Amino acid sequence: MGLPTVKSDKTGLFCAAGAALLAALAAFSLFTGKYPLTLEGLLSGDAMQLRVFWTLRVSRTLVGAAGGFALGAAGFVYQTVFRNPLASPDVIGVSSGASAGAAAGILFLSGAGAVTAASFAGALAAVALALGLSALDRSGRHSTIVLAGIAVHALAQTALMCLKLTADPERELASIEYWIMGSLNGISGYSIGGNLALCTACVVVLFLLHRQLLLLSAEEGEARMLGVSVGRLRLAVLLAATLAVSCVVSLSGLISFVGLLAPHGARLLTRRNGPGTMLLGGLLGGILLTGADILARSVAATELPVSIFTSLLGAPFLIFLVIKGRKAV
Amino acid sequence: MSFFSVSDLTAGYGPRPVLEQIAFSLEAGKILGILGANGSGKTTLLKAVCGILPHAGRCTLKDIQLEGLQPRQLARLCGYIPQRSGITIDIPALEVVLMGFNPQLGLLEHPTACMREKAREALALAGLAGREQENYLHFSEGQKQLCILARTLVSGSSLLLLDEPESALDFQYRYRTMQLLRNWVREKERAVLAALHDPLLALNSCDSLLVLANGRVQALLSPAGDPPEEMERQLSAVYGAVSLHRCTDRSGRHQWVMLKEPESSDRKRGSL
Repeated sequence: MGLPTVKSDKTGLFCAAGAALLAALAAFSLFTGKYPLTLEGLLSGDAMQLRVFWTLRVSRTLVGAAGGFALGAAGFVYQTVFRNPLASPDVIGVSSGASAGAAAGILFLSGAGAVTAASFAGALAAVALALGLSALDRSGRHSTIVLAGIAVHALAQTALMCLKLTADPERELASIEYWIMGSLNGISGYSIGGNLALCTACVVVLFLLHRQLLLLSAEEGEARMLGVSVGRLRLAVLLAATLAVSCVVSLSGLISFVGLLAPHGARLLTRRNGPGTMLLGGLLGGILLTGADILARSVAATELPVSIFTSLLGAPFLIFLVIKGRKAV
Repeated sequence: MSFFSVSDLTAGYGPRPVLEQIAFSLEAGKILGILGANGSGKTTLLKAVCGILPHAGRCTLKDIQLEGLQPRQLARLCGYIPQRSGITIDIPALEVVLMGFNPQLGLLEHPTACMREKAREALALAGLAGREQENYLHFSEGQKQLCILARTLVSGSSLLLLDEPESALDFQYRYRTMQLLRNWVREKERAVLAALHDPLLALNSCDSLLVLANGRVQALLSPAGDPPEEMERQLSAVYGAVSLHRCTDRSGRHQWVMLKEPESSDRKRGSL
């Protein structure tokens, strides 16, 4: 039994660096976009510049940073609870529920927040259905939740398909497709308050329950004998994580890869699963989404879907971390 | 009323029960070992007592019926070591041991400095001193078992339910673990129920042995008092032909040694 060297805990260092990078990107994001803003203009009280700054840029940056954070933290929770590194909120059909809801909103409703509200309702319905179905199985295996999620996902996809068939291909179908690609375009200060507040509350709950998350990562019988009411606690944790994700995707449309990549990155960097790692997962999510959104606004004359850049930035980063991790072992 | 008793316990995984009409009792301060061939229901018995498996019958500890207790209340009374822990994430050994304090902590509470100290002591007692910050997943199976044992010892429960806690341990640590349990059980109001892989270890370190066969209690032996012929007969029914011998170690302590004898069918085949 030779003593392997103990790896020192650099979680704090990584979190500080992550927070600094996120702050820098957020500051950059405030000044990126079609309408040019300058610091002098804002300070001298240019009315138009101030309006753009407060109603568009601040809210967009907030959603990018906070939304990315929520996606990263929720992804961490999913991977821990399902004991599966590939788990993400999509497992229980949130994304497809949100897409179907958004499509219904685009087709049948009008008004500023209608699509957001409809997609939030769709995501919520998917979560309620998946968790409700899984609660029917008294034994409380988590494979049941996954199976229920797959069923709900399939149902929501079918609903989405039906909605697309009835859509007018020139305008509505294009809007639906564009929504599904995801973008932080069109987010304004009027529409984000409720979503951000609920999202923040959910993320706070997840951090408070962090010690319980570790217990849920043990086997079910084992967790039970450590005094955990496995079924109830898992339901509460998944509900909080999924609500947080619903708040984000109903504003932004689908955003690929952040929820999967950010927690992996945090784990590979820290080799731990403590609250610090979850925080780092959130920070990486925020960095990824904010960075991707900056690129989406600036590389082409028209705005591009943000998911293109979350994947383009994320995939090489993940591969780099995996290779680096191999060498370290 | 005994400290811990099981009556009329029937349990299984499907429609066919693995265990039927199990009944036994255990006094405080004692270690009861469960012996039986593979698939005889040792793990099933422990899981049923834990309430992880639904079952008929009742288990009573200190006049409290275990069925129907909330997980938190149950965990304060009983600690459980599964054959293999399901922990699959990178986590320092100390954090694994600290999980044992969960039944004493509120939902949002965190382990105190005193608990951390106790967890460190328990790790040292289990033979993992100074390895608190090492990744649990990098431990060998035996070291993992020791770490989980430390977690169970800090939990403050009165009854330990152990499922082959020694299966991955080397010779020295097997006896060390049993000595650890022996010391633990000496405190008042404590007992151990352990399914054991190694019959010799069980014979030499348990107060009594529950022998399971075909889903029923075949015998309840007490190695210190029962006649060797009777024990030999019961153990042969589980492990095939064996012989038991009493030896004396250098400190003058009597120990059992069990030898595998040729089966009567083998002898016939050999003469052909």
